[in-house]
Amino acid sequence: MDYRTVLTTCTYCGCGCNFFLEVLDGKAIGTIPCKTSPVNEGKLCIKGWNVHEFIHNEKRLKRPLLRKNGRLEEVSWDEALDYTAARLKEIKEKSGPDSIGFLTSAKVTNEENYILQKFARAGVNTNNVDHCARL
Amino acid sequence: MIDSIKDKVKELLDTGEIKGFLGLVRKNGHIGPHLFQKGDELVDLSLGDNKIAGDSRYPLNKYLMNIAKAYPEETFGVLIRGCDDRGLQALYTWNQLNPKKVVAVGITCPQELADACECLKPFPEDITAGECAKAGEQKSVAAVDALVLSERFSYWMDEFVKCIKCYGCSNVCPMCFCNECSLKCDDLVKSGELPPEIPVFHHTRAMHMVGRCVDCGLCEEACPSGIPLRTLYKKVGSIMEDKFDFKTGMIRGQRSPLNKIDSAEGKK
Amino acid sequence: MTNSIEEFEQADCIFIIGSNTSVAHPLIATRIYRAKKNGAKIIVADPRKVHISEIADIYVRQNMGTDVALLNGIMNVILSNGWHDQAFIDERTEEFEQFKKVVEAYPPEKAAEVCGVSAEDIRLIAECYGKAEKASIVYCMGITQHTTGVDNVKSLANLAMLTGSLGKESSGVNPLRGQNNVQGACDMGGLPNVLTAYQPVTSPAASEKFAKAWGVEKLSQKVGLTIPGMLEGLENDTVKALFVLGENPVVSDPDVHHVKKALEKAELLVVQDIFFTATAELADVVLPGVSFAEKDGTFSNTERRVSRVRRAVEPIGESRQDWQIIQDISNRFGYPMNYASPEDIFNEMTLLTPSYAGINYPRLEGDGIQWPCPTAEHPGTRFLHKDKIARGKGLFHAVGFLPPAEIIDQQYPFWLSTGRVFAHYHTGTMTRNSPTLDAEIAEGFLELNVDDAEKINVSNGEWVTISSRRGSIDVKAMLTKRIAQGSVFMPFHFIESCANILTNPAHDPICKIPELKVCAVNVVKRPLPA
Repeated sequence: MDYRTVLTTCTYCGCGCNFFLEVLDGKAIGTIPCKTSPVNEGKLCIKGWNVHEFIHNEKRLKRPLLRKNGRLEEVSWDEALDYTAARLKEIKEKSGPDSIGFLTSAKVTNEENYILQKFARAGVNTNNVDHCARL
Repeated sequence: MIDSIKDKVKELLDTGEIKGFLGLVRKNGHIGPHLFQKGDELVDLSLGDNKIAGDSRYPLNKYLMNIAKAYPEETFGVLIRGCDDRGLQALYTWNQLNPKKVVAVGITCPQELADACECLKPFPEDITAGECAKAGEQKSVAAVDALVLSERFSYWMDEFVKCIKCYGCSNVCPMCFCNECSLKCDDLVKSGELPPEIPVFHHTRAMHMVGRCVDCGLCEEACPSGIPLRTLYKKVGSIMEDKFDFKTGMIRGQRSPLNKIDSAEGKK
Repeated sequence: MTNSIEEFEQADCIFIIGSNTSVAHPLIATRIYRAKKNGAKIIVADPRKVHISEIADIYVRQNMGTDVALLNGIMNVILSNGWHDQAFIDERTEEFEQFKKVVEAYPPEKAAEVCGVSAEDIRLIAECYGKAEKASIVYCMGITQHTTGVDNVKSLANLAMLTGSLGKESSGVNPLRGQNNVQGACDMGGLPNVLTAYQPVTSPAASEKFAKAWGVEKLSQKVGLTIPGMLEGLENDTVKALFVLGENPVVSDPDVHHVKKALEKAELLVVQDIFFTATAELADVVLPGVSFAEKDGTFSNTERRVSRVRRAVEPIGESRQDWQIIQDISNRFGYPMNYASPEDIFNEMTLLTPSYAGINYPRLEGDGIQWPCPTAEHPGTRFLHKDKIARGKGLFHAVGFLPPAEIIDQQYPFWLSTGRVFAHYHTGTMTRNSPTLDAEIAEGFLELNVDDAEKINVSNGEWVTISSRRGSIDVKAMLTKRIAQGSVFMPFHFIESCANILTNPAHDPICKIPELKVCAVNVVKRPLPA
């Protein structure tokens, strides 16, 4: 048996509440607000209390999809990544770096935001980088 | 105190008497629940005192129910205070935990915590470590009771209106284990409204705390709106005591007068 | 936020404007409730009688899109009564005289005519805020999502500077960040004009520093496109490809018919997400990333607190770490990356980011750290602009009132505003896939004033058709007094009744924020199917 509580930060609003995800045998089964958090002091809102519920939802994306003959089909990671990189390269060569845009995300981590804007700026050489800060 | 707890738990784990010990741990600079399965993990054991005594208590019995449901054959240890002990006793009578599969390791609460909680019994029946404090003085219910009716009414209305319907009071409650919750029954409390209908939402919950509440106070600590829920449920508890001479979980094996339908006593 | 969340508790006056705090930022409402208990006066100004107004000492309902008039009226009263802080103004601000001239043109009676709040209430707010020792302003998208969003924010800054309510404990201007890591995304350079920590892409020094660190000859110094700019580019064929990480513009952006059309024109649309969103449906490639529960990293909250995200469960199916997906694409693209972990990325980032320079993963154990944190010994920063305003001197802006881009008329006689409900979050991708939250609120609705409902003969729960110049949708009406006569409100979480089909993409000329909080619509009882 494997029961653990993992301290993390909420994925919803900007408050940044801390809680433990209660994990039993690899499945998140509960959310436990962290009493010693300077932000939420052991409290949460309804969204926070139920944040574990969507993690294992059946509708989660599980495999890469690629549009073939107008339809999105499951493909291997290699195929999806090769296709993406090759098309980006092609478009950059044909239409210039500023013909490519990147939406980073207020939902992913700092590290992921950093690495995506780095790819846009250093890899593709464009500043077309934005996210939904205004929405 | 903590060293004797560690020794006791180590012994329980080493002898294989328990599969794991559900207690509190200091990790990542915080205090949280943890299932100890090896003796060497116990260096980071915490009793839930961060800045002040008992400020980092968690409803361990509630998590124990989750684990026990998945592993009904195993025996687990659990860290308890007086309130948790009352919770365990009540959960046994409600068949939510099997007493044969639980080894409670009991600690007492210091006087400051007993006073802050206005706790009637700030220690468990069986104490592994600690000195018993005196029962805390009951002040909060008396203070509200002292208000004239109209003031008392607006006091509660002003509190309930702040509710953001997080269900934290119920989510954190070790005694909330129903599969179907009245708070989520649309005919009683209409879903989707903020604040939830006043005073139905909180009255419904208070009604369901009759004979159930063990006065751990975790609901009030979890309330983002600062509603004095503990005072409300203490009042409910005091009515049970006055009318039925019943204090939830205080006497081993005693069932709630509202949970006796199937017993001889209930049929009377 | 210039202050920390906990500081609200000690404020003497909290002025909440355009923020549905107890719904959208519940754990900040907690602190405001406590402040109230500690004796603070609470002022709420919102066209909708939002939940937190229940505890307000003063609640006023300004007309939609008239915040500048209301604020100028308040400042006019403060000035004419001498409640302003002349010493603060003299020492720490500039351009006061020009500002004063504009505000003098807004006596409360005149402001009242525009904003619909009585002159008496304007005076009450001015006195309450103006006389408070420690006054905090809380605002959110109700202030910013307007064509005059920048003007609104500048007016709030004016108000804080006028009374010297800035750069002190419990005194400041506090925008609440709507998304868990919108602060971090901005800090990390997820914007077209700046690199990390707001270092301008146009600065030769910054550009050179980053180019060197990133091993490229040079970086583009041309400011890039914002989201509306990218959509426009797709339409006029100057933009060919769009890479979307964890965003859902098909539900979240204004005038979604238009957004969809633009995305359909893309030669390549890549969507990296955890659910099959409405945006993913249009994609050429869909890459399954992982949720917060499956990853390590950091988020930066609204009070600039950087805190750890820790992996609790294994990735679902074949989904992969988002940073690894990007690294793999970059390598295949021809720009090599070789990070071993999120911590590895973080450590590189801090070398280039002055406000994060002193932060590392071990230091984030415990309470996390609030930036700016320039060195490894620095404890982090609870509130900004202490002793001195960051830019040197606080700049007063003379701001006059401008009406919203779209005004009601005979054809579209209702004002529409959009926002959140307590059980859902943004485009609902996560919350609508949580059974408990879905059970609480399963579908969209339109808040309609009871008197208006009577006029158009609609009863509670009945279907109405709501239309704007951009589109039309059917939704159930919820009759309420929370919203003023002549105004309606809709949550934007629900794609089946997608509020953003209706909203106006007109945006603020400076920051490009769209006017999601006000547009003109018509509401009629849904005609019976023929």
